[in-house]
Amino acid sequence: MNPVLLALIPLLPLFSAVLLMLFGLRLPRLAVGTLAVGAVAASTVATLLLWPAASGDGLLVVLYAWAAVTGLDLPLTLHFNPLSAPMTLMVTLVSTLIHLYAVAYMAKEEDVVRFFALLNLFVFAMLLIVLADSLLLVFIGWEGVGFCSYALIGFWYQEGKNADAGRKAFLVTRVGDVFFGIALLWLFALTGTLSISAINAQAVLLPAATVTAIGLLLLLGASGKSAQLPLMSWLADAMAGPTPVSALIHAATMVTAGVYLLCRFFPLISLSPTALLAIATVGGLTAFYAATCALAQREIKRVLAYSTMSQVGFMLLAVGAGSVGAAMFHLITHAFFKALLFMAAGVVIHLADGENDLFKLGGLSRKAPQVAILLVIGALCLAGVPLTGGFFSKDAILLAVGAHPETAYKILWLLGIISALLTAIYTFRLAYLVCAGPPRTAIGHVASPGLVAPLWPLALLGLLAGLLNLPPLLGGGERLMHFLGPYAGLQPEVSHLAEFGQWGLAALLVFVGWRIARSRWSKQPAAQEGARIDFFRSGWQIDTLIATVLLRPFSALCRFSSEKIDKVGIDGVIAGLAQCCRFGSSSVLRMATGRLSTAVTSMTVGVLLLMVWGLWTLLLR
Amino acid sequence: MIVPIGHVLLLALILLLLGIACVLARRTLIMMLIGVEIMINAAGLVAVAGSALHRQLDGQILAVFLMAMTAAEVAISLAMVVYLRRRKGTIIADAFDGMKG
Repeated sequence: MNPVLLALIPLLPLFSAVLLMLFGLRLPRLAVGTLAVGAVAASTVATLLLWPAASGDGLLVVLYAWAAVTGLDLPLTLHFNPLSAPMTLMVTLVSTLIHLYAVAYMAKEEDVVRFFALLNLFVFAMLLIVLADSLLLVFIGWEGVGFCSYALIGFWYQEGKNADAGRKAFLVTRVGDVFFGIALLWLFALTGTLSISAINAQAVLLPAATVTAIGLLLLLGASGKSAQLPLMSWLADAMAGPTPVSALIHAATMVTAGVYLLCRFFPLISLSPTALLAIATVGGLTAFYAATCALAQREIKRVLAYSTMSQVGFMLLAVGAGSVGAAMFHLITHAFFKALLFMAAGVVIHLADGENDLFKLGGLSRKAPQVAILLVIGALCLAGVPLTGGFFSKDAILLAVGAHPETAYKILWLLGIISALLTAIYTFRLAYLVCAGPPRTAIGHVASPGLVAPLWPLALLGLLAGLLNLPPLLGGGERLMHFLGPYAGLQPEVSHLAEFGQWGLAALLVFVGWRIARSRWSKQPAAQEGARIDFFRSGWQIDTLIATVLLRPFSALCRFSSEKIDKVGIDGVIAGLAQCCRFGSSSVLRMATGRLSTAVTSMTVGVLLLMVWGLWTLLLR
Repeated sequence: MIVPIGHVLLLALILLLLGIACVLARRTLIMMLIGVEIMINAAGLVAVAGSALHRQLDGQILAVFLMAMTAAEVAISLAMVVYLRRRKGTIIADAFDGMKG
């Protein structure tokens, strides 16, 4: 029973997606939504039913014995273990709520079948990444989420801007995928297997330099999917998609895939301190970079996008510090509150008739108090207000980083602290600009219950997620860490004093952030302008930088190849040869008059010459 | 042999040169064909002379074959001349320069 159940978890959304693609247009609207939500909900139920099987070594199921020949055994396997089980539950649960929300959100949309088919396919691909033990399946899922995100970001493709954003997401993540693909093939060449658990078991036998190189390749692959430096430029533009897509891609699933991949490979990566430090550095820098960008954004969803980037940076920081447990903890809490924030933002935009400029919103607390409460709950979690889910998970990360013996990690810890402060500032800025003050845009209608209802469970989960992994200091048992067991990575030894200090510092940061935000944005906020703000708003001019460093030299090279090498060089040689031939032939051409007399005369002369020559040789003999 | 072989060969050579001159100099197809006939007959004459000199029949057989072949060739050639004449209204050889490069 269990193996079937495990296979059903990813296959149910796939089945629903295929069904929608084939027959969706003939189904009534209600059936389309029900099918899409039902499939994901059924996956959630299957995960819950399967939960007991996750303990210990977990459940390994061979889906299909692909390429089973002598000396080569590449079964397509799923692995339900303490690491993948919480992730699966999170993905299915959050996806179910997002699907529910999407039914209400897309109520007036024409093309709802395509939307839900892609959404279900996306969940399938994500579950494949999460559950697969075979790297081949991981790669299929990896490319699957890439494709689905492309199609979903560009869902309203009639507008060129959206289609461009989809293409950008696809291409930038593809850069990371190339590195992931190289790592994958290298691992296969080294170990002869594609099973993650088998590779991890053999990891100690690999040479140190190889492990470092593979770790860095995996990091680059993860950077593409998780929108980390230097492959982060796509995420902010990805907001062009419908809000449920933003919530699904940029909260629960796709962006966490990179972090999750590194967590899966942690036994391998942990053998290389260099790779770990690189991961932590990328994470820390991205956390800081994205937080500064989020501070300057005007559009509500772009703030959240940059905040996602920043939070995923925190997760990488945790992986780099060796604490997979903290990373997974933050991944899960972040999925709850970020999905909540995105969907609440979607409701806000919906209420304001498509207005998404922070400085034109406002006064939500009076006009739509329920939505405002939800948004504020999300903001509290994101800012890391004590006792919310985000507080515990972020502090677990900062504790792990701070407790790391190496000096480099102290700097990263400081970077993390600054990022946490910036997070608090931009989060409260968002909350104040949207909720406080007078309404700057008329809020005409009321949010439908279908839009708001799915947010409440997320709000509760976000607030109470700390209970999942309550530190012993507060009487908790660190249940997530214990559940993860050997998968939790290295646990830092932290004194109680340091833990209290960290908490005090975190609370102080939140307080300071709140005061700053309150003093600047609670009353009559003036829209920030100026060159400095523009620099941060455009993400440190990263697109311009990429254009100058990569795109323009590349197009210059292409132009050079086209105009100089191809048109002048290669075409020149060929044209020259043709010219030679034409010249040669034109000189011979004069002989070919086509007249019988010429032919006969030349033949006669030729024969006579031959005869003379023959006679000559005869006579000489 | 009554006639010395040298005289016969000389006659054949003269005939051949006359034929060649005819083919080269004349412009109408008919006259060129006549030149070709003269050349073939010069060759036939050499064959018959050789046969008489060596007292063997091969040369005479060859001459008979040459006559048969010439008859066939003339039949085909004249048919083509008629055809070409119908096509262009002339039998001057240089008018047919379709092979001009």
